[in-house]
Amino acid sequence: MRKAQCIRFGSLFKTCILISLLMLFPFHLFAVNGINETSEELQQRIAVKGIVKDESDLPLAGVTVLVKGTTNATMTSTNGEYTLKNVPVEAVLVYSFIGMQTAEVEVKHQTSIDVVLKEDAVKMDDVVVVAFGTQKKESMISSISTVSPGDLKVPSSNLTTALAGRLAGIIAYQRSGEPGKDNADFFIRGVTTFGYKKDPLILIDGIESTSTDLSRLQPDDIQAFSILKDATATALYGARGANGVIQITTKEGKEGPLKVSVRFENSWSSNTSDIELADPITFMQMANEATRTRNPQEALPYSYEKIERTRQGLNPYVYPANDWREMLMKNTAYNPRLNVNISGGGGIGRYYVAASYNKDNGNLKMDKRNNFNNNINLETYQLRSNINLDLTKTTQAIVRLSGTFDDYTGPIDGGEAMYKKIMGTNPVLFPAYYPSSLQPQANHILFGNATRGVEGAGTSADYTNPYAEMVKGYTDYSRSQMDATIELKQDLRFITQGLNVRAMFNTSRYSYYSISRKYNPYYYAVGSYDKLTDSYTIAQINEKDNPTEYLDYNENSKDISSAVYIEAALSYNRQFNEKHDLGGLLVFQRREKLEANRGDLQKSLPYRNQGLSGRFTYAYDNRYMAEFNFGYNGSERFYKTNRYGFFPAVGAGWSVSNEKFWKPVSKIVSKLKFKATYGLVGNDAIGSEDDRFFYLSNVNMNDGGKSYSFGENFQYGKNGISISRYENRDIGWEKSYKSNFGMELGLFNDFEFQIDYFTEKRTNILMDRSVSPSMGLSAKVRANVGEAKAKGVDMSLDYKKMLPKNYWVQARGNFTYAHSEFLKYEEPEYNEKYRSHIGQSLNQQYGLIAERLFIDEYDVANSPRQTWSEYGPGDIKYVDMNGDGVITDADMVPIGYPTVPEIVYGFGFSAGNNRVDFSMFFQGSARSSFWINAQDTSPFDHKSPDDYNPYHRDVPLIKAYADNHWSESNRNIYALWPRLSPTLVRNNTDPRNTWFMRNGAFLRLKSVEVGYTFPEHMLRKLHVSSLRAYASGTNLLLFSGFNLWDIEMGGNGLGYPIQRVINLGVQVNF
Amino acid sequence: MTTKKILLSILLIGSFFSCGDYLDIVPDKIATIENAFANKNEAEKYLMTCYSYIPAHHEHTGNVGLMGADELWAYYPGSDFDPWMIARGQQNTNDPYMNYWEGRRGGRALYNALRDCNIFLENVEDTNKVPDLTSTMRQRWIGEVKFLKAYYHFLLFRMYGPIVIVDKNIAIDAPPLEMQKKRSSVDEVVNYIAGLLDEAYEYLPQEVTNKTEELGRITKPIALTLKAKLLVTAASPLFNGNSDYADFTDKEGVHLFNAEYDQNKWLKAAEACYDAIESCKLNNIQLYTFKSNDRLSDTTKIQMSIRNSIGEKWNNELIWGLSGRAVNNLQSVCMARIDPANLGNMWAAQERLNPTIEIANNFYTDNGVPLNEDKTWDYSGRYTSQVAGTQERFNLAEGYVTAKLNYHRENRYYANLAFDGSVWYMQNSRSGSDENTFTVKARMGQPQAKLGAYNYSVTGYWPKKLISWKFVLSSNSSTTEWFPWPELRLADLYLLYAEALNESDQTIAALEWIDLVRERAGLKGVNESWTTYSTKPDKFKTKAGLREIIQQERTIELAFEGQRFWDLRRWKTAATVLNQKIHGWDIDQEVPEAYYRPKVLFDQEFVAPRDYLWPLREESLYYNKSLVQNPGW
Repeated sequence: MRKAQCIRFGSLFKTCILISLLMLFPFHLFAVNGINETSEELQQRIAVKGIVKDESDLPLAGVTVLVKGTTNATMTSTNGEYTLKNVPVEAVLVYSFIGMQTAEVEVKHQTSIDVVLKEDAVKMDDVVVVAFGTQKKESMISSISTVSPGDLKVPSSNLTTALAGRLAGIIAYQRSGEPGKDNADFFIRGVTTFGYKKDPLILIDGIESTSTDLSRLQPDDIQAFSILKDATATALYGARGANGVIQITTKEGKEGPLKVSVRFENSWSSNTSDIELADPITFMQMANEATRTRNPQEALPYSYEKIERTRQGLNPYVYPANDWREMLMKNTAYNPRLNVNISGGGGIGRYYVAASYNKDNGNLKMDKRNNFNNNINLETYQLRSNINLDLTKTTQAIVRLSGTFDDYTGPIDGGEAMYKKIMGTNPVLFPAYYPSSLQPQANHILFGNATRGVEGAGTSADYTNPYAEMVKGYTDYSRSQMDATIELKQDLRFITQGLNVRAMFNTSRYSYYSISRKYNPYYYAVGSYDKLTDSYTIAQINEKDNPTEYLDYNENSKDISSAVYIEAALSYNRQFNEKHDLGGLLVFQRREKLEANRGDLQKSLPYRNQGLSGRFTYAYDNRYMAEFNFGYNGSERFYKTNRYGFFPAVGAGWSVSNEKFWKPVSKIVSKLKFKATYGLVGNDAIGSEDDRFFYLSNVNMNDGGKSYSFGENFQYGKNGISISRYENRDIGWEKSYKSNFGMELGLFNDFEFQIDYFTEKRTNILMDRSVSPSMGLSAKVRANVGEAKAKGVDMSLDYKKMLPKNYWVQARGNFTYAHSEFLKYEEPEYNEKYRSHIGQSLNQQYGLIAERLFIDEYDVANSPRQTWSEYGPGDIKYVDMNGDGVITDADMVPIGYPTVPEIVYGFGFSAGNNRVDFSMFFQGSARSSFWINAQDTSPFDHKSPDDYNPYHRDVPLIKAYADNHWSESNRNIYALWPRLSPTLVRNNTDPRNTWFMRNGAFLRLKSVEVGYTFPEHMLRKLHVSSLRAYASGTNLLLFSGFNLWDIEMGGNGLGYPIQRVINLGVQVNF
Repeated sequence: MTTKKILLSILLIGSFFSCGDYLDIVPDKIATIENAFANKNEAEKYLMTCYSYIPAHHEHTGNVGLMGADELWAYYPGSDFDPWMIARGQQNTNDPYMNYWEGRRGGRALYNALRDCNIFLENVEDTNKVPDLTSTMRQRWIGEVKFLKAYYHFLLFRMYGPIVIVDKNIAIDAPPLEMQKKRSSVDEVVNYIAGLLDEAYEYLPQEVTNKTEELGRITKPIALTLKAKLLVTAASPLFNGNSDYADFTDKEGVHLFNAEYDQNKWLKAAEACYDAIESCKLNNIQLYTFKSNDRLSDTTKIQMSIRNSIGEKWNNELIWGLSGRAVNNLQSVCMARIDPANLGNMWAAQERLNPTIEIANNFYTDNGVPLNEDKTWDYSGRYTSQVAGTQERFNLAEGYVTAKLNYHRENRYYANLAFDGSVWYMQNSRSGSDENTFTVKARMGQPQAKLGAYNYSVTGYWPKKLISWKFVLSSNSSTTEWFPWPELRLADLYLLYAEALNESDQTIAALEWIDLVRERAGLKGVNESWTTYSTKPDKFKTKAGLREIIQQERTIELAFEGQRFWDLRRWKTAATVLNQKIHGWDIDQEVPEAYYRPKVLFDQEFVAPRDYLWPLREESLYYNKSLVQNPGW
């Protein structure tokens, strides 16, 4: 629809206006400064010139030189020279440059000032964002990993896809590549709970956020990104910190002239790998084989004549052979991204304002026969404005406003569903559509379809025609997330030095709605065909479904929620006698969240928590450090007596390299620090999210599932009453005892090595009790009875070296290993020891050991009976572990590795000079298993007997299965796929077994980037201070022992593939 | 100054953090179980909950009786109906099919039902609760729920034999040992259920007066008929002196089966049947006969009497019709594409449940005796064919060649079954009568032949009886006249009575009740039929002979009503009957000689005594340590 295109452009236009408005705002604000300046006009003014150099005496170009408190600034030239006019004689000049420490020099009537700037590397690392504040890295003893935001810049509009392998302690993987639904799953130090929330707490500028919020965050806007792993780091978050915390702070403006930074990228994404399907002829032959091998008396689904005529490529409407993927999907999708941010400040305030626009296209083909574009088109806008205002010399107000807006149009059920339809349709039953010349009077596309089990025209359209599904309509959705925060900081040095108080108020609003518009397609099938004249007629087959030529619309789900958060903190930091560093912090916080569409009274009640936390730190002479943290938190989910939990943590550290005796070796071992922490963290996200209040029973007073009716025409009926939860006042916090032992080691000032060994013990894990079925309970009985432990290591190694002639090289590697085990598990005393979960990983899977495929009937008759369905030769033969002569659940043993990888690692390097840079990053995971989804990939029919939905899918035949399966003529008892069958053989697909188990280990070349920075002299005329162009790629190479599809997708092979992205971009700073 | 302002504001914000009950967000009046019994309106909903556990007997996926034995078959693979898996020998302990103990794999959670019934009774029996409930209504509700409690126990008993009796609910926080209740012996179970039905009887009304809103609710005749059925079941060979289970004890060594045969059980059963019949008489419940429509032949009228005893909703033969389980989808699932104008409508005429040749051969000749006993019927030539003449036009398509097997059969054969060459009269008959009406011609190349790989009759038979004569097939949909599933009907009760009388050595008295059923089907009495036509004219004069006759009569009269499955078990004949091959016609053939060759569809295996009782799920034995598994599993 051309109109829709216009709207798209229109919204882009609107974005531009918004960006411009945002840009105007700070100018306006700081124009006030100009007025202030004029009042000081009386002061004498001079011109100042000089040269700025670095420590190795090389001139620095592009250094900002600013008169402090004004917007009067200039920049140094390539040889480091600058001239700044109109400088008050008593002014202070500020010299700033990225990667260098900012220097301030008082003018004092000098007209020539040369400055040497020191490298900033130390300073950047100096301070780490911790819970409710920052800490000097040197004296930090908790286990926190940080990553430079630059490392998170991947050519994707989803930040979560960049996490794996970048930070020690994160376990992450990505299962789908669908735009808008491609969030990676990530966990901190693995999974040690079995409540509904396994992923970490995400805090963006201190505000609890979702992983979608995180995924939409622009790396350009991130000041610091850290993950909090151990008890001392997370105890302050009491209730919510047990699974670790991800903390992100966004950039704030810095004093200085207006800086504009623009990043523009274009990327081309394509599937990392396409699953290979058997050709249509093979499909038909194999379908025939499947039918006959299971029931020799059964009629063939495809006649020899049809197969032969299809092979000859005769009339493609009568003998269709569709490659649906080829027909409906493009190889590459083109996605532009634009990010603009401006920052600066002076006088009383500083600003950082950013806007970004991302467009993600799916790889569906547009069809010219259709008047609207059905391809996935996800446009994301982001606006962020961080303003710092100095209200007084000791008071600061910070206003942060941010909004993320997604606008989507795409196929009716979304990209993943569309992809599945494309990959789940019979290739030979019907063409996508018939030529319109067959029914010239029809004002609609003549879509092809077929009636189940009928050759020729039947009376219903029983199949999914993916082409019709794609063009029949589209869905629009819109998602907005808005956050407004105001924070006040007051320095209380007038009471005592180092005392600060701070208060923050935040509210966030979320809304989502979705609308779809579609028509009901007309389906046709070949009615008659005359072989001699090659003429055919078509007949409409779905009259009963009331097809339409006009659009209908549907209002889909709407989601609205709001949250309010308040926080107040009192902190104290002071150094005494240059040796004693004392710190204290008390934070009170409270959060309320309301969701509008929860569909249940109890769930509609506000979600609340509140807590008081504190931190006390003491460091002596930067050598010995000690820390005590606590969180005192309440959760509304528990009964009064269990409602509040106290979660303390302690830690100590020793900086050996700061000892006097270390001096002699400090050139070699520049840093050595040991640290240890231990503490308790709580978790109230236990059980299911739907269980709001464990201490209340949940009675459904209107349960349609418990209805009955009476009367002559069965018309007097009522819904029944049911109980879905029994009250239990004893349920309380899940507790996590965490300990951490760490070492930091610096060598030759080039290498930095960190290693942490951690253990964790979880107690009070909520579990279902096993209750005799004759009790007749309609809901589970639960108690805090489970226990688990975990241990692991995470480490990182960094290497940075400046080489002569502006060359530099950096390398970074990290590694995370996390292993969990059950200590107590509510389970019956099994006769078979191997069935017990005790000592097994929380993500351990149990299944049958598949020995081989059955050879023949004799083999079947003489093997233990298997109980999942009927089976025969060529089906999977399982091992009777307990020797009772029957294969049941009791024969299931722990199989494979856990489903969540126990090892995730990444390594890479970058190198370059001041012109060219190159970087490369590998990422891998190991010690995980996944299962080929045998049900979803089982070829041919999937209709279940009770499925009255006329639309069902015919699963295509994966080529590998066609090539390598058990057949009567080739009884390969170790074939990839068992004997074919026209329907699911539950014996093979239902019980989890080793036949379809695969090792999930892989290593992939996650990203490569080449950049070129243009020389300044080329840019000066353009008023551009720096310009870098770069090309990058993600998911370029993959090494694994599995080749049916991209291994990172796990068993979900027919899902939307992970994307390989090639990206070109420019970054311009003004 | 400004600093102070800021400080003050921060303090002010701080003062908002007044603690107290911030986390106490649950408002009053959250629904609790007390609300369910606060007034009549809410309590009636709980009554519905108690009724709601009645199994889906109106569906082939919910009624194990339909496909669990040898009556109805389907194509395979492609028809994974849970009940049918039992017929196909797939029952297992890992995850049993139709597991009513726990409510898995097609079964309903009947112990949940019992818990709900008990909660209802605890509250409604307390006159302080549900204050606006009149005492008459209260009595009636209590009676209904007591009945349902007995009914659910009965369903469990029929499947599992010795079961855990749940008379009172056990508290959720009771010690684990108390929760792990053990199974009671068969005799205890039967006595308990019978006692409960007696109690219910006292509270129940004789008849439903407000038919518009209350048809389908429990009455005295229903309670008495269920009791009759219970006692007949308990007196039957499976539960009465079954030596197979002589050593079946629980963990404390208590015998769960009484290995001593007790003749008295049959006497009690006969008494119970008599009481039930008397009570039915009071309500004018009688064998249904079709009356309307003068334009129909007598043959068709007899057949309509047979068909409508099921398919006419609320007909006067019905003792307990499941109003909440009205038959709709099943009709479409069974229907054949008989309308020549809508031959392709496989969507509304799914043809998925198909009677086997085994069940078809059970129906008598038109002389009312078994095929192989009739002196006048060409048994050996039954697979040869002949052309149907005018005199057969209400049963067979005139001029069409069909097997001799289809000639000279009793009316119940034509009323119950459709087959190649049969006539199928429906209310929307194009001719307006039974002349020139719908026919089924099912050999390859004929209009009702198999169309494709799905939705076809695998045997060449269709269960005409399960489809109302008002079912209308249109080009792409259908209209269905719903009728309540006949859970209990009078013919069933008569035959139970006959059986109990025969087993109590009252052979002559038994004949009366069989003959009533035969009369409605247009047949002569047992005495006359056997004496005149049977090669075993004295068969009915012995207890064993008459037992055989009664058993066949039940099979025929109650075909496709989910009774045979249970009868074969209680008679202990399943080990013989269900250990044979299942046959259908060779449906892919065009010519009669090739078509009328019974084709083996399946070789059934019934392992005795294992398969007589349901297995408990292996896992559930871990949850209740005092349970024992049924023998053989």
